[in-house]
Amino acid sequence: MSLDGPHSLTPDERDAVEELLFRMADDEYVAAERYIEWQIFAPTLESDLALSNIAQDEFGHARLWYDLLQDMGYSEQECIWERDPATWTHSTLVEQPFEEGDWADAILRSYLYDTAENLRMEALVDSSYPPIADRVAKVLAEERYHREHAQSWLERLTGGEHHEKVQAAVDRLFPYALTLFAAGPNEDAIVELGLRTENLDDLREEWLEIVVPFLESLDLTVPEPDEVALPEETGRDASHTDAWFDLYEDFTHTYNELELEEPIRLRGEG
Amino acid sequence: MDLDTVKERAGPRQFSPKDDMPQEYREAATRMIQFHANSEVMGGYLEKPFIRQAPSLDRKLAFSAKVQDEIGHAQLLYRAAESLGVKTRDEMLDELAEGKGKFLNCFHYPMKTWYEVPMIGFFVDGAAMRRQATLKSTSWEPYAHAMDKVCFEEGFHVKHGEDMLRELMTSSKANQERTQEAFEEWWPRVIQFFGPVNSQSTHHGFAAEVGLKTKSNDELRQAFLNTYIPKAERYGLEIPDTPEIIYHEDEGRYEVVEEDLDWDQFWTIAKNDYDGSYEQIGSRADRQEAVEWVREQMDSYETAHSGTAPQAAD
Amino acid sequence: MIWEVFRQEKPGGYHRHVGNVHAPDREMAKLFAQIQHGRRMQTHSIWVAPQDEISEVDDEDTSFGGTTDKAYRWAMTYNRVDASGIQEVVESEAEQRAAAKKREAAKKEEADS
Repeated sequence: MSLDGPHSLTPDERDAVEELLFRMADDEYVAAERYIEWQIFAPTLESDLALSNIAQDEFGHARLWYDLLQDMGYSEQECIWERDPATWTHSTLVEQPFEEGDWADAILRSYLYDTAENLRMEALVDSSYPPIADRVAKVLAEERYHREHAQSWLERLTGGEHHEKVQAAVDRLFPYALTLFAAGPNEDAIVELGLRTENLDDLREEWLEIVVPFLESLDLTVPEPDEVALPEETGRDASHTDAWFDLYEDFTHTYNELELEEPIRLRGEG
Repeated sequence: MDLDTVKERAGPRQFSPKDDMPQEYREAATRMIQFHANSEVMGGYLEKPFIRQAPSLDRKLAFSAKVQDEIGHAQLLYRAAESLGVKTRDEMLDELAEGKGKFLNCFHYPMKTWYEVPMIGFFVDGAAMRRQATLKSTSWEPYAHAMDKVCFEEGFHVKHGEDMLRELMTSSKANQERTQEAFEEWWPRVIQFFGPVNSQSTHHGFAAEVGLKTKSNDELRQAFLNTYIPKAERYGLEIPDTPEIIYHEDEGRYEVVEEDLDWDQFWTIAKNDYDGSYEQIGSRADRQEAVEWVREQMDSYETAHSGTAPQAAD
Repeated sequence: MIWEVFRQEKPGGYHRHVGNVHAPDREMAKLFAQIQHGRRMQTHSIWVAPQDEISEVDDEDTSFGGTTDKAYRWAMTYNRVDASGIQEVVESEAEQRAAAKKREAAKKEEADS
């Protein structure tokens, strides 16, 4: 079964497509909004360039999905700048603030997130909503670098004097990472309509099968997933930690101050 | 090579790491390139908070890419400086953190609002680009090669800066007024970008003699004013009355009344002794210190897994 | 042992890869390289490096410059402003335009094949 474009969706289909798109777009946007905190502050000039690039990739992916929401009638203002922060549905993993100098957090977060992102994209390759399926290949191509980058760093940050910093990041972030797979209200419809070809429980299992052995191979202790209590705020039901509301206020400050007619677009011709 | 030979041979891209350059040349070139590299880092540092403040998603992408480029330029420049064999990159970055490394006057002033952003992004970057274009003909080949890539990228920066100015100056009256205020605050600093008149510049003479610099500060300032005063006016900015700038039509040149500029502040900044210097240098130093553990870890990893031969000395 | 050879034509220019030579060590590699790669073409300097010390990543391994729209990195995108009065910006933009064209052409060629 294949759905047509944005204009021939039934109300239920539309809800499901929107939920899927907002989850993806918000994840990428907020992850990037955190990564840019490392620009100029990364450990070396070369690592600064690499992480900046990853941040731009993620903003770019967010834009691909927000664009599809805009094809459904939303404006950029409604997607980002004037949207109630209490309606965003990104996982609370990506909104967590960084402790100063905690490069281990940035790297581990990217590893956990990008591994999940890769699986999610693969489950969208055959999405019944063609505008999504069409965009997946571009995203996957860029995610490959992200995972290689995170894995290579993790292999070098662990096993030495600062191993505990990475372990502390695992202990702190792992429960939040599990919220990546928390369902939203339209999850059943998303799967039934074939918008995503795998359900979140299966994606979670696949993710655990990759992440747990890899981290354990680095002598990191990973909590028993089924015994981890999910954080009270998962993000997927639009519940968020305080850090998110501070972040939102910060990144919309100038937008509100300037009151420009509309957010500028800087796109290529192709 | 003795100094007389250096002066005789001085020309674009004449000297490379394999030449046996006299200590005076190495030190002068190191001082100049290190200053340039430091300025890339500190300029990026100043702009960085505004990536988050960008008022559109595309603008945010552009701003992130721009700040990324500044670090890329720093990377190129520190390598060009290292190739003189006087200081390592780590030493230069430590000097910057300790307040011993010097950098451009404009980057000692913290920015508070978006209205200030085009002052750096258009005027300061425009001034820097003017200067950098002339440095493609510097005598230190690695520096010239760095300038090839920097200038290639910089066109994006200046146009992006101009586009931000355009956006503000074609928006509400209130935005235009606040942009004008920011312009008035930044204009004297931008004029001082090119330093004092030539007679007061300590290092210019030698740097010109050995081909490191190819244009004097005053020539660069003239070229800048010729281009950017009309630009500012086109967007409806009013050039402030001070410093007074007199246009001599017969000679086609601008005269900046130097006494109108605050040279005490300029020289205080040159010593990293201005309030803003402490703020910018200190907070960046804290950040550099906070990730020292990562660099340590990379070094010990490198020692434990030295899979490649160490790089030969430049 | 194989040594990669990089030749610089003129002082101030770039060393570009021109080929390689078999040689038992660095000294012999320099002797062989100057004849094999410098005997006819204008040459100011030659570098040699052991092939094993050179690592490669190609466009099968990665997507250089990314796959999503990164127009924001290019001067040509900012066409709401007229930079024609600033010579160094005009030159930079011309270089960027040429580089972007080359990249697009290569992509198109790959897509067509």
